[in-house]
Amino acid sequence: MSNVTEADFGRKNASSTPVVEYRDVRKQYGNFTALDGVSARVNRGEVLCLIGPSGSGKSTLLRTTNALEVIDGGQLYFDGHPLPSSKAEIRKVRQRMGMVFQSFELFPHKTVLENITIGPLTVLGISEAEANARARVLLEKVGLTDKADRYPANLSGGQQQRVAIARALAMEPEVMLFDEPTSALDPETIGEVLNVMKRLADEGMTMVVVTHEMSFARRVADWVVVFDHGKIVEQGPPAQIFDAPREDRTRNFLSHLGWNG
Amino acid sequence: MDFDFSPVTDNWRYLATGLGITLLLSILTVVCSLIAGTLIALGRMYGPTWLQKILTFYIDSQRAIPVLVVLVWIYFALPVLTGVNFPPFWAALLALTLHISAYVAEIVRAGISSVRNGQTQAGLVLGMSPRQVLTKIILPQAIIRMLPSIGSIISITIKDTAIAAVIAVPELMKRAETVSGQTFRPMEVFTTIMVVYFLVLFPTTRLIDRLYDRVSYRGRS
Amino acid sequence: MNLDWSVVWQFSGTLAKGAGITILLTIATMAVAVPGGIVLALMRLSPNRVLNWMALCFVEFFRNIPLILLVYWSFYVLPVLSGLTLPPFTTGLVALALNVSAYNSETFRAGINSIRKGQSEAGLALGMSHIEVMRKIVLPQAARRVLPVLASTWVSLFKDTSLVSVIAVGELAHTALEIRSQTFRILEILTAMAVIYWVLGYPQAKLADWIYRKWGVKE
Ligand SMILES: Nc1ncnc2c1ncn2[C@@H]1O[C@H](COP(=O)(O)OP(=O)(O)OP(=O)(O)O)[C@@H](O)[C@H]1O
Ligand SMILES: [Mg+2]
Repeated sequence: MSNVTEADFGRKNASSTPVVEYRDVRKQYGNFTALDGVSARVNRGEVLCLIGPSGSGKSTLLRTTNALEVIDGGQLYFDGHPLPSSKAEIRKVRQRMGMVFQSFELFPHKTVLENITIGPLTVLGISEAEANARARVLLEKVGLTDKADRYPANLSGGQQQRVAIARALAMEPEVMLFDEPTSALDPETIGEVLNVMKRLADEGMTMVVVTHEMSFARRVADWVVVFDHGKIVEQGPPAQIFDAPREDRTRNFLSHLGWNG
Repeated sequence: MDFDFSPVTDNWRYLATGLGITLLLSILTVVCSLIAGTLIALGRMYGPTWLQKILTFYIDSQRAIPVLVVLVWIYFALPVLTGVNFPPFWAALLALTLHISAYVAEIVRAGISSVRNGQTQAGLVLGMSPRQVLTKIILPQAIIRMLPSIGSIISITIKDTAIAAVIAVPELMKRAETVSGQTFRPMEVFTTIMVVYFLVLFPTTRLIDRLYDRVSYRGRS
Repeated sequence: MNLDWSVVWQFSGTLAKGAGITILLTIATMAVAVPGGIVLALMRLSPNRVLNWMALCFVEFFRNIPLILLVYWSFYVLPVLSGLTLPPFTTGLVALALNVSAYNSETFRAGINSIRKGQSEAGLALGMSHIEVMRKIVLPQAARRVLPVLASTWVSLFKDTSLVSVIAVGELAHTALEIRSQTFRILEILTAMAVIYWVLGYPQAKLADWIYRKWGVKE
């Protein structure tokens, strides 16, 4: 199953089944090719950062992972099994993956606590007491214990995004997918969200993060994938990507961002 | 010019009962129209294509025909067709519901479509089914966003029940007509019930606007 | 059940005349209620508290009473108050115009209020004159708010003209109801009336939708 290549050697848990594996994944929007044969793997406990220019297909790849986008070619494996096609089976898979959006997408008609419990209550069918207890633990983890009864409209962007992370964690997922979680935030609240993510990584959560925060990727990622025009330009450990990129396009992209080590 | 309000005071109990019937008919119409209108909207948005076409045609037709025409047709013409006579009150409830539910359907559709797509996705990634997403996430927000429009629907309904006087539903308008005809004091009678209608309608719309101001943030995603 | 649809053809001329009066009444009412609405909106926006308050009372009162009651009231009370005997058409026109002016005033007020001061300042900063700012910046934006609402008010008004049938204005509804009581062909005549309203009203409703799609401001 897990065909470890030379390039993957030395990665975290490289010899066991990857949590997510993309094999030659293709995605078309009409005539436009958004993903042009992408192959990559996400090992258990790894933080994988997806970087690349705008429109290169990072979000698209992330959204194929939990079948928000249906792929047109190739294969996608979750925990060693091909992603199912039946709607009910996909729902089961989604319960085991958490996703955090750029625009938070908290439910405005629910309090912070209810936002976190709604998933476990409606989907996992656990008791309200248990869901509440779980939510309180998560609120503590993201540092928002005192905001449990607030509505999202009364929180800052950074606080909303931390609640969104807690909401995803409440499902006790095996992997967390982040799509530019700090891009919609005021500069002063970006740090609090990145800190929560860093702590999550330290606890061993498997994470796929689309980000423009290069210093975060440099510091936290175990593996970095560089995207351009729907293809992987280069992938490797952050030390390679940021300090000794092998491809010109990686170097160009990073220098455009003003990255100089 | 001399005024004589004794026709109003002498018949206040008769008129007050009329107001009661106006309010009862209004409440029943609003409730039935909200239910029917929501179903029509859901059928129009998520139903099979043939149903969508029929419901769109139905909504647009109700928007084109006066409610008076619907009322008299249901009360006078439908019995010729079916052989079943409705009492005026129930004919009015049926006609008003047929008409107003079309407007409700438009409001519900606008409310649902105004909820951002990301909210659906946020529900789906938690593993919810499309039905759960609709009932737990989209509809509650849509309802909050619809509050001001529902306020107008309530106001329109109360005003439209007065048209049921044409088919002799004994509500406030009809009873005012009766009293004015018997006492030859139309000015006093009609002026009085005009004020009564205003005193019912104005606070109702204000109250709903207030309510919306207090909860609107729960519908803003 | 024996139906005789020939009665519709027999009275087609009378019905057509009724439909003509319905259309005429709609146009006449709008012709009064657009200027009426503008005047009320300007009063509402004026710094003069008395004018402001008078317009507010007018608008809120006429928006919050049933139109059919206003029609009756105009019929019975207007002659007493004014000392004039008005023909039914004029009486119906007055009632409709009072109602529609109140709605139009809110439409115009919202249109004017929607234009932020920054917009005209941006025009002035480009060196435009006040008239140019009004013509090229303020009015086109206000029109985009006002026009779609006026169109839907128009459709409502077209339907509401049926309410003046209760004071024997010879428009479509009254004409049809009269023929019904003469001939007792209830189903045929009432169905014909509904169909005529539909034929006239459906394109208007669609046109109003189109105007909204083309010009409406979506927020
Ligand atoms: N639903 C869609 N229909 C058509 N084209 C789409 C659709 N979604 C995405 N695309 C196109 O696919 C390409 C990849 O989009 P994607 O959102 O994955 O880029 P991205 O790398 O996440 O960029 P960004 O950094 O701006 O978020 C873009 O050119 C985009 O225009
Ligand atoms: Mg993206």
